[in-house]
Amino acid sequence: MNCYEQTVIAKQDLPGSQLKTLIGKYQDIINKNSGKVVKTEEWGLLNLSHNIKNNKKGFYFHIKFNGIGKTIKKLEEAENIDQMLIRYLTVKVKKHDLDKEYFQKKVL
Amino acid sequence: MKRKKNFKKNKKNNRHSKLSLFQKADTKFTRSCPLSGKDAPTIDYKNIKLLKKYTSESGRILPSRITSVSLKKQKELSRSIKRARLLALL
Repeated sequence: MNCYEQTVIAKQDLPGSQLKTLIGKYQDIINKNSGKVVKTEEWGLLNLSHNIKNNKKGFYFHIKFNGIGKTIKKLEEAENIDQMLIRYLTVKVKKHDLDKEYFQKKVL
Repeated sequence: MKRKKNFKKNKKNNRHSKLSLFQKADTKFTRSCPLSGKDAPTIDYKNIKLLKKYTSESGRILPSRITSVSLKKQKELSRSIKRARLLALL
């Protein structure tokens, strides 16, 4: 089992309830394909530093998980065809850094 | 007495104690790497505050000869800056 972390940018114009189902959907995919979700962070709505496909803002979320090659393959397959996402990035790490949170969600 | 001794030592190591203009300086101006060593900040693509210090105003990566970052850390730094760019964080 390797440690991975993935950051996903979803489109801005989604309703709040749909975002939670979106995050839950990808957590399910990880858990079903011999992986295990360690931590999920919601970074909230952030401004993009440059426009991506005519989007100026995006909703960021970050998942830390353990898994194997198959987990990543299935996860990215689902993400490639998803219309609601702008971009994603998967990074392999040696050890999960669970204490630090660089993007804390602002309490309104 | 002690003070006098120290004073003598300093005079020996002083850069201006050269005999001629073409003599090489004994001490060289060096700065250690700000990102290695104990309690140095960790380089991460999520740590935008740190990465912004090592980019120019227009968003280009600063060379290590200006920032005096070691080769190993510069490689790590450039990789994480590129990751942050991909996620439109920088």
